[in-house]
Amino acid sequence: MQEIHAGGKPLKKAYVAIFLWFTGRAIQAAAKVDKEVKKEFDTLPDEFTFALGSLPNGPWMVVGKEKGKVKYFGGNLKCRPIHLRLVIKNIEAAFLILSFQESTALATTRNRLMTDGEVPYALSVIRILDIVEVYLLPKLIASLAVKRYPSWWPFGHKLAGRIGVYTRTLLGI
Amino acid sequence: MDLTNGFAFICPFKTNSGNKALENLPVELAGLNACKPLIITSRKLAGGSAIGTLKNAFGDSGMTFGVFDEVTETADLNVVEQIRDIFIKGQYDSIIALGGGVIVDVAKIVNLAVSQKVADARQLSTATAIRDPLGPFVVIPTAAATGMETSKYASLHGISFVAVHLMPDLVILDPRLTRAKDGKAVAEAGFAAFGRILEADVAPGKNPLMHAYAFTALRFLRENLAEAVTKRCNKKASLAVANAVAMSGCVISNTDQTVLHRLGKVFQNIVHVHPGMIIGMCLYPFLDDQIKKDRSLLSNLLLTLGGDDKYVFMPEDGRPGAALREIYEFSYEIYAALKGKMPPTIREAGIQQYLMDDVLEVINQEPDGAYLRTIIDRVGGSSIKA
Repeated sequence: MQEIHAGGKPLKKAYVAIFLWFTGRAIQAAAKVDKEVKKEFDTLPDEFTFALGSLPNGPWMVVGKEKGKVKYFGGNLKCRPIHLRLVIKNIEAAFLILSFQESTALATTRNRLMTDGEVPYALSVIRILDIVEVYLLPKLIASLAVKRYPSWWPFGHKLAGRIGVYTRTLLGI
Repeated sequence: MDLTNGFAFICPFKTNSGNKALENLPVELAGLNACKPLIITSRKLAGGSAIGTLKNAFGDSGMTFGVFDEVTETADLNVVEQIRDIFIKGQYDSIIALGGGVIVDVAKIVNLAVSQKVADARQLSTATAIRDPLGPFVVIPTAAATGMETSKYASLHGISFVAVHLMPDLVILDPRLTRAKDGKAVAEAGFAAFGRILEADVAPGKNPLMHAYAFTALRFLRENLAEAVTKRCNKKASLAVANAVAMSGCVISNTDQTVLHRLGKVFQNIVHVHPGMIIGMCLYPFLDDQIKKDRSLLSNLLLTLGGDDKYVFMPEDGRPGAALREIYEFSYEIYAALKGKMPPTIREAGIQQYLMDDVLEVINQEPDGAYLRTIIDRVGGSSIKA
């Protein structure tokens, strides 16, 4: 008979934390660069805030609208009232999704995600995340992460958007 | 299926199946209001790697949990009392059973003892009333599962308990744990599930919900058991078999027709062989009798086992016979894949004379003992006597 205290998974947690940090900043940047992302955010209420992260202890990414502008608020869930939480049930599932071994749609069917909030808002956020992933990732990897890769986007649109999103993400503007 | 008389069906457990399903355990436990589980298992029966995988699944949940890994095949109520004592002293709030057979039986009875706050688990008996729901209970079957893990039955050293409250709240099936060491173990578990479901599905009193479970589980077994027996590394096939085995526990808890199940259990208790081995032997004689009693009950089996095309193209009269042929082909495929590792008759199983006498003595005490005896005779049981 032995009593065990659950250990951690520091490497996977660190990967997820870095990914969420970068994606949060990229959403903020994409809202300024991409018209579709801006349009999706326009349909969401003022001061709307959503969080994406893993149970039980994070990491989290908090993104929301403040005075009409989209902003990344870091990883603290208590920084603002959260209207929508997209919760990945455990760090292992978060790693599977964020390392593109499973798409968001597939992970949902496999019971790895929970939504705490309004479903229409959640769908808007998923569409935003899909667009951001298309900008951030090469086509080969992005195809694994999103349900349908937008092959109909003109090359110029993709390239200009990618430069804009990366520059703004790295500079944090 | 006549529904005018009404029916009842119960399946109280949630099933969580698939790749990395085990990692959902902390969230699911939180959903059951549990935060300090006690894992009951056996290092010998479940395997060290299965225990390691389970421990790892708690990840960064921050949970504290206990592991009792000393359950043996000969466990009795003394072991239950020992675990009950550990549970109370360690202030655990839920039970996780990792493995199959006796491990889950012990866990069910420990859950009964701690939930009903009995002073001594050794006082528990068949007469113990189980009226109220028990504490949170999770079952994680491994390849050693017999199919009874998810059922309302628990049996230890001849003492049997029956109550729907004994069924688990959650069943987790993870492909990392369902791969067996040898094909025989998979075949035994598969045959045990196949036989139990089949006899429930051909019973006159079946209901539509039970039929839905039976249909799914039988299809899973028909399509995957041979693959799981021959290619043990095939995760997809072994997980499908594990799902069917888990469903069989639910089906057996909702039926009164338990001829094959009881035969398997008698041999398991006395000869210590897997019930699936006996159920596999008795399957064909039992169905042969059913077809003589009421051919229509077997008609739908052709749709389940043979598929849509075979069912549609076969005239009504020929369907029961065709269903029997499907079952025969299915059994033959499994026995052939095992290349003699699994005996097809009692004679070839090499059961000792004195054990066979004990088996027949118990069978004769059953209300339908004479009928059970005829099945045993037809699978070579009488030739041992001769």
